[in-house]
Amino acid sequence: MATIVTIIVFILFLGAILTGGYNKELMARFRSHWLWDWITTVDHKKIGILYALGGGFFFIFGGIEALLMRMQLFYPNNDFIVGRTFNELLSMHGTTMIFFVAMPLLFALMNVAVPLQIGARDVAFPFLNALGFWLFFAGGLLMNLSWLFGNAPDAGWTNYVPIAANEYSAGTGIDYYVLGLQISGIGTLIGGINFLVTIINMRAPGMSFLRMPLFTWTSFVASALILFGFPPLTAGLFLIMFERLFGANFFDVAAGGNPIIWQHLFWIFGHPEVYIVILPAFGVMSEVISTFSKKRLFGYTSMVFATILIGFLGFMVWAHHMFTVGMGPVANSIFAIATMAIAVPTGIKVFNWLFTMWGGKIRFTTAMLYAVGFIPTFVMGGVTGVMLASPPADYQYHDSYFVVAHFHYVLIGGTVFGVLAGLYYWWPKMFGYTLNEKIGKWNFWLFFIGFHMTFFIQHFIGLFGMPRRVFTYQPEDGLTLINQISTYGAFLMAVASILLVVNIVYSYRHRVPAGNDPWDGRTLEWTISSPAPFYNFAQLPRVRALDAFWHEKMNGRKEMEPAEPLGPIHMPNDTHLPFVMTLGFFVSGLGFVFRSNEVGVLGLIIVILTMFVRSFEKDHGYHVETDEIEKTEKGANA
Amino acid sequence: MEAKVQQNQTQIKKQSSESSLKHLISFGWMILLTAVAFAAVALNIVPQNLVIPLILALAVVQVFLQLFTFMHLDFKKHRLTVMFMFTGIGIGVICAVALWILV
Repeated sequence: MATIVTIIVFILFLGAILTGGYNKELMARFRSHWLWDWITTVDHKKIGILYALGGGFFFIFGGIEALLMRMQLFYPNNDFIVGRTFNELLSMHGTTMIFFVAMPLLFALMNVAVPLQIGARDVAFPFLNALGFWLFFAGGLLMNLSWLFGNAPDAGWTNYVPIAANEYSAGTGIDYYVLGLQISGIGTLIGGINFLVTIINMRAPGMSFLRMPLFTWTSFVASALILFGFPPLTAGLFLIMFERLFGANFFDVAAGGNPIIWQHLFWIFGHPEVYIVILPAFGVMSEVISTFSKKRLFGYTSMVFATILIGFLGFMVWAHHMFTVGMGPVANSIFAIATMAIAVPTGIKVFNWLFTMWGGKIRFTTAMLYAVGFIPTFVMGGVTGVMLASPPADYQYHDSYFVVAHFHYVLIGGTVFGVLAGLYYWWPKMFGYTLNEKIGKWNFWLFFIGFHMTFFIQHFIGLFGMPRRVFTYQPEDGLTLINQISTYGAFLMAVASILLVVNIVYSYRHRVPAGNDPWDGRTLEWTISSPAPFYNFAQLPRVRALDAFWHEKMNGRKEMEPAEPLGPIHMPNDTHLPFVMTLGFFVSGLGFVFRSNEVGVLGLIIVILTMFVRSFEKDHGYHVETDEIEKTEKGANA
Repeated sequence: MEAKVQQNQTQIKKQSSESSLKHLISFGWMILLTAVAFAAVALNIVPQNLVIPLILALAVVQVFLQLFTFMHLDFKKHRLTVMFMFTGIGIGVICAVALWILV
């Protein structure tokens, strides 16, 4: 700990010297730096970009972890990565991919698209939006620091006790998991509540609930799931934190505890969590398929109904992750039937997408390719899901590679395809230029083929009897060839991911302004310039129908009719407090990980002080005057 | 115009004095309920096996008092809020009952 403090002090000194010493201009220098602008921003579009960068950053780590595991499994009896290190890799891969890649990337799309789709100038609580992002990032960073400072978490992303207890996982590995997730969980909860309030209160005049674009609807339901799903995780993490750090006995059978409690708490959160990451992806697909088929979404109302139903049923099925725990045939049957019932609303969605494309004028852009590739992929993941939902069969599949294949089909085939489709679709709205379509198609096909090569074969690895989370197999098991094919596929996916980066760099270098509406869009975000001006809408639009912009286009108008006269726009001020507050949480988390309660409490004191400052700060924002708006609008249209 | 503004102000004043009385009364009720809960544990007046159910019942009453007086919950005005609350309570109850049976 002393080393770290010394290093921090040294860095501060170095920073002070390099930036011109301690003088009055120091703060001014900081403030004029471009980084300050990003650290203090409360603009939902910038926060969306930050979320995307954060998610992409952790995606590199999660991806490398996956590649290392696949390399270990290339040969039987390989000794490249064995034992605890392999356990650490698989635990960090799962946790990172779910919490620090899938969630932030979806939050990125939600931040970029939802306020624009509902015709709002910002989210309801811009301060909380920034705080949510920084907390997510601090949590992810804290957890990944475990690679540098000692050992990483090694009890799987589910972190089951007792293997996550001090007795079986010595060192501080699991503490990074517990505190990292606790901190980023606060951020996610804040983000979810923010979107609920935004969507309920800030829709443009005329936009009733049943005129909201489907991406907004799925974000709304996903936010509600966050609201109800994260508290059980918080509770569970608190229990495990007290067990590990302060010697509590919630899960110790000898002291009257019960390890099954953790499993229940985790999956009461964990099952809604998988719907949190799939529902917004469904929304993206609905937007993309409808836009590129040039047709209104088939069965819009049934889509909304199915979304809500999936959200509701998502809370009633958590125990299907625990069939083999021994809850008895009655409980198992109840949860099996509830699980199979989810196939019905999901099936409604799949058929609606197909019917939307049927008879449409389809354009196969990269976004549309991802959406079309998503449908069969996700259906395969869904079918194996129903297979797993049957308890007697689950006893056979349990803990084998079949399960791994299943959830990668829904998580990559669903969420990652959705995120990539969304990025290609909304990129022009985020940055003002489109991503290159030619490299995009290469990106899609390599990723699609690589994905199926990696994971289709894993169904059979599982059926041939290879258990998951095991670091090797024997030559006589007959698993060598299929494991090698799977590894080749994983590297193909890595190449495709690098192509995405190449595409981003290439498209930036050769950027041409995309214009307001590059895809002939249907919803409100395409009515404003790309990238959107910081106040979004000079005048709030009047919404007359579902697919508001399309409705105006069909009635011969080029833009939305304004619902209000041009006037000064009220905007929130940038603030550095979310960052400081997050710094407090980060210091606190690091302190508790290092078993130094003083540092932990010090961090929490920073948090409370920042809250205090925030509470008594009179910051009413500022107004953008009419002439400035007119100037910006002219500049954007010229 | 001015008269109207004044009238409005007096109306607001009247409302706030009414609600402040209401606040005081429910504040008193809450202190009483909390005191009863403490007494139930400390003074051994109620049988041992009824203590926890009694405290829970008192807590439920208090939650509703809080919601209606201090948090100004109005079933007609805040339909969505109420819907979210009851969804949360519903999910909480289902999970709690399931845990009770299964663990």
